[in-house]
Amino acid sequence: MPAIIEMQNLTVQLGNRTILNQLNGSLSGRCIGLLGPNGSGKSTLINTLLGFYEPVAGAARVLGKEVKSNLRELRAMIGYMPESDAFIADMTGVRFVRYMAELSGLPRGEAMERAHEAFFYVGLGEARYRKLGTYSLGMKQLAKLAQAIAHGPKLVLLDEPTNGLDPEARIRMLQLVREIRDTGEVTVLISSHLLRDIEECCDQVLILKDGRIAALCNLEEERKANLKFLELEVTQGNGFLESVRGMGCECASFGAGRVRIVLPDDIDLRQIYRTAAEHEVQIRRMNYRRDSLEDIFLKAMAGSPQPQGSANGRL
Amino acid sequence: MAVYKRTYKAYHGALTPAWSRFTVLTRYGLSTLFDSRPFTAYTVLCFLPFLVGLAYIYIVHSVAAQAIMGMNVGNAMPGTVNNDWFHRLLVFQAGMGFILAAWGGPGMITKDFANHSVQLYLSRPISRTEYLFGKISVLAALLSCTTWIPALILFLVKAELQGHGWLWDNLWMAGSIVLGCLLWIAVISLVSMAVAVWVKWRIAATALMLAIFFLLPALSLVIGAILRTNWGFLINFPFMITIVWAHLFKITLIHRHASGFDVVPLWAAWASLLSLCAACFWLLDRKLQAREVERA
Repeated sequence: MPAIIEMQNLTVQLGNRTILNQLNGSLSGRCIGLLGPNGSGKSTLINTLLGFYEPVAGAARVLGKEVKSNLRELRAMIGYMPESDAFIADMTGVRFVRYMAELSGLPRGEAMERAHEAFFYVGLGEARYRKLGTYSLGMKQLAKLAQAIAHGPKLVLLDEPTNGLDPEARIRMLQLVREIRDTGEVTVLISSHLLRDIEECCDQVLILKDGRIAALCNLEEERKANLKFLELEVTQGNGFLESVRGMGCECASFGAGRVRIVLPDDIDLRQIYRTAAEHEVQIRRMNYRRDSLEDIFLKAMAGSPQPQGSANGRL
Repeated sequence: MAVYKRTYKAYHGALTPAWSRFTVLTRYGLSTLFDSRPFTAYTVLCFLPFLVGLAYIYIVHSVAAQAIMGMNVGNAMPGTVNNDWFHRLLVFQAGMGFILAAWGGPGMITKDFANHSVQLYLSRPISRTEYLFGKISVLAALLSCTTWIPALILFLVKAELQGHGWLWDNLWMAGSIVLGCLLWIAVISLVSMAVAVWVKWRIAATALMLAIFFLLPALSLVIGAILRTNWGFLINFPFMITIVWAHLFKITLIHRHASGFDVVPLWAAWASLLSLCAACFWLLDRKLQAREVERA
């Protein structure tokens, strides 16, 4: 898959503070998560990709184009949903989205049609003629999403899209993000400090810490890799563990029948069942243990950020 | 809308030319201003001097109209339609236009800042310059329609009715009308935008605009009285515009607080106005950002 976002020693300073420090990496997922604690540089990275901040060193490429020299072209292909409230209070929802679509280059008629479609799509169809100032927080978030997608961008940047939403609205927002992602016509980049939001939508995650990349990993691959990690609860059986070890598996027993096994690539699950049967061992519980995003995030936060100039590696 | 249409789909249609995007801002800006009935009514009122001027020119040149109105045919009308007449008309129109600009100008920008929507504009394929140009075009269009365009129409009507080469003899006046008004529109529009971007609050921005054009002249008099200098007039921007206009329209006026128009040379008046415009540009460049940077 071609890289959507590429960063080469990307360094951004605001005032005297270095907010992004020599970021290197290539993001290519269909839905990319941008994780990190508050103040880690997530929003600054998004603003830099939009050209709001100019890097003091290094460069960023979005959709294969250098940000600095192709700003206008890129902005036409990007939809942006900012973190903070951003609307025109005395404008109706549909007029606002139409306005934004026209600014992105859509002719009047098409902009109007797409504005209506976007409002229905995000579930605000009935409220589209109400003034934005009268919307609830959840509705404002959805209106922001509508304006971000109305002009049919190739990349949608969502900065904390579930901020301030109640659980139901949050589920709805994440469902919309997944639907947009699954169309295959658009790449989504979500910035959030909520791990579950990222885990539910994203296939690649970039974790920032103090303006540096703490981790850059492909969640899909992590999930696949962890499928080989088994947790069993078995009745006591002589020789079972030895036999499993003899097959080339790594085993560890934790007492009371709890066993952890790392399966090599050439061993499949049936062989474990067969061995258990041979030793008359009952398997009472079995699950694939996988590293959750929380594990990945905690490891990234515990580890020191990459030193300057180093390549960014996986966890 | 049909349920089957409620899915996300990309847009693959035609796009408008990139150069024309700022006109979207202008169109929506005008539309928003004219949503207000009082503003619309006042804008219509701004055309009244033009209509009065048109009627006056017609009456001056129509014996029949003078007879109907019971005037002594052949007697001269109280004022001649000349450079002084056009200057007075434009001064009046400029005053009305100033209210128009103070009323509608700052709100166009402060609304965007109040709701943080500037970042949405600038995340689109338009630059800060285009954003500003689009917003200024709203004021420029309104003020043009109430100042130099009607004045030029009156000029052409006068030329048509007068005949005998009046147009060619007074063609310089058309240039003066356009140049004088464009200078005034540029100053008013830039000040309006700059104060709006600076204070980000409509009422305060309007108050500041009024202060620049009414309090600074008072301050200039104080400076002049204390320091016994005429250079204090340099911050009296309406007076500076008056000086430039007086030279453009080749008239001599006496300022009530000064001994004559030579109190400040023409170049200094131009320099003062251009400095004000430069200061506005600097402020706009500093403050008109998608994101505000908090400096440590």
